[in-house]
Amino acid sequence: MPNIAVYIEQSGGTAKKVAWQMTAEARRLVDRTGGEVWAVVLGDAAGAAEAGRHGAHRVFTASGDAFARYDAETWTRALAAFVAARRPDLLLVGATATGKDFAPRLAARLDAACVSDCVGLDFDGGFRLRRPIFAGKCYAEVAVEAPVAVAGVRPNAFPLFAGGGADAPAESFDPGLGGFAPHAAVVETLTSAEKKIELTEAEVIVSGGRGLKEAANYQLIETLAAAMGAAAGASRAIVDAGWVPHSHQVGQTGKTVSPKLYVAVGISGAIQHLAGMSSSKCIVAINKDPNAPIFKAADYGIAADLFEVVPALRDAIAALD
Amino acid sequence: MKIAVCVKQVPDSETRITLAAPGPELDRSGFTRVLNPYDAFAVEEAVRIKERLGADCEITAVTIGSDRAVETLKKDCLAVGCDRAIRVNEPALENAEPLQTAKVLAAVLRRGAYDLILTGKQAIDDDSAQVGPMLAELLDCSQATVVTKLELGEGVFTATCEIEGGAAVVRGSLPAVVTCQKGLNEPRLPSLPNIMKAGMKPQETLTCADLGLEIPAARTRVTTYSPPPPRAACRMVAADDPAAAARELARLLRDEAKVI
Ligand SMILES: Cc1cc2nc3c(=O)[nH]c(=O)nc-3n(C[C@H](O)[C@H](O)[C@H](O)COP(=O)(O)OP(=O)(O)OC[C@H]3O[C@@H](n4cnc5c(N)ncnc54)[C@H](O)[C@@H]3O)c2cc1C
Ligand SMILES: Nc1ncnc2c1ncn2[C@@H]1O[C@H](COP(=O)(O)O)[C@@H](O)[C@H]1O
Repeated sequence: MPNIAVYIEQSGGTAKKVAWQMTAEARRLVDRTGGEVWAVVLGDAAGAAEAGRHGAHRVFTASGDAFARYDAETWTRALAAFVAARRPDLLLVGATATGKDFAPRLAARLDAACVSDCVGLDFDGGFRLRRPIFAGKCYAEVAVEAPVAVAGVRPNAFPLFAGGGADAPAESFDPGLGGFAPHAAVVETLTSAEKKIELTEAEVIVSGGRGLKEAANYQLIETLAAAMGAAAGASRAIVDAGWVPHSHQVGQTGKTVSPKLYVAVGISGAIQHLAGMSSSKCIVAINKDPNAPIFKAADYGIAADLFEVVPALRDAIAALD
Repeated sequence: MKIAVCVKQVPDSETRITLAAPGPELDRSGFTRVLNPYDAFAVEEAVRIKERLGADCEITAVTIGSDRAVETLKKDCLAVGCDRAIRVNEPALENAEPLQTAKVLAAVLRRGAYDLILTGKQAIDDDSAQVGPMLAELLDCSQATVVTKLELGEGVFTATCEIEGGAAVVRGSLPAVVTCQKGLNEPRLPSLPNIMKAGMKPQETLTCADLGLEIPAARTRVTTYSPPPPRAACRMVAADDPAAAARELARLLRDEAKVI
């Protein structure tokens, strides 16, 4: 009867989507095995009210000035205090920038098992976590062999809860931070002026590669992405060429993404690029070379000049009703 | 200033994983091993800091790895400007999980009073991105992860960290563990004469026993390695007329794949 705690990451008073995806998956699991799902909220408790609807049985909150700005040490201490007090068997943390920053630190503090970037969650007396390794060229099933585990969960790996959960009772816990001062903290957050959809969270991604010929043509990708409500990505070739910043790079040394739909435009499909996107649900390739390796990874392909197809595709999508 | 750079030897990014069927073992025999690409940014950053500070700075490259890793230490660390190297040679730690690695690295790092500990953002074999933050906890010091810019002051650092849709600026006291991301710098390549000279720099090989440490126990075990889920063959949309092809694709994505 495992109890699963889920860390509910919030930004600007709303919970990240991955928080509710994890809550839902944990609930589906304990509905089979017994046990409870506990949502854990630090700082602003705005998101806590929703937790029950997303499948949590109980909500635990800790508040205080210490949570006004993020730092890994405070988060580590607070969640370690929670784990010590309530003894969940597993703590799920979204594989976001923040989650990846503190989760391993927390695991070290708890001397716990730590598994990053999980896409599958199972229990048969012990937890079994499924995760891609070698950037998705292979999957590993990992058995937890410790009393407690901290697991990172990849955004979009799990659907939301459809069971119509009830209100979950909330109680506060002591994060044990009396007098604690971290060695380092976030002092400033810089967000790009335009509100862009973040690659790792996007449901649809349109990526461009060297087939675009020159930097100015990346705007074709941005226009198509805008028409599809998608994030815009890139191959390393055009990142290295300086056409777009590295934050756009998809691949083994860029972002690993698994959107519902990935559209690769003028990208050859090098193994390092495939590594970052091959777990996407549906892959579309547009490339004028019918033998480009990207077609081997794709579900739908158009072997034609991107300069003709991309504007037409934008129009065709806009014309769908 | 004393800087430690933690480096791992990993299968190169061209590596194909061949798995006929799911199983408990991964055949790693044919892998070509290279310096983890993110660790190259860590090495380069250390060398640039040393170049700024002059002689008053020493860089130690640290790895836990088999004899194969000696070449990585020499060619990719010592030959590009690290001053010395420490290798922990423990066959039992081959394919260790990050917490085991971090515990042993922490034991090595406690022996020197390092001001700055640089690691890669993640190792491209296990893709864990865990060792850096774990080290910071075990050493009870500052951390900054996925760093694209690093500035050092008197006992303090300021790091720009990549986050969703932007950057976070982290400021704190030294010592600090900093995990390095692409964009931090452009790693240099070793020159042939420097590779020759690298062999003369001090290199130490240790075991856990030398560190007064038992081999840390694993907390997880990989039970099965499996190939990625198979994908159906690509459906090519006739492309003689690009506009018609685009319309057909849009229709397929909506009605067949149901993704838009
Ligand atoms: C250690 C390492 C790490 C790496 N990490 C990554 C990574 O994270 N991500 C990544 O992407 N790469 C990575 N790479 C690089 C990778 O090997 C490839 O070089 C890169 O992905 C190629 O980018 P591309 O597909 O845009 O360019 P190319 O391979 O040059 O392909 C361009 C494609 O565009 C097509 N094309 C040209 N003109 C047109 C047109 N008019 N219409 C339609 N199609 C057209 C061509 O047929 C071709 O297939 C890495 C490499 C190494 C060694
Ligand atoms: N065996 C090792 N020896 C030295 N450093 C390592 C080792 N394994 C991982 N690291 C460091 O930790 C970083 C992150 O690794 P990981 O947590 O495994 O993704 C790597 O980029 C290295 O800098």
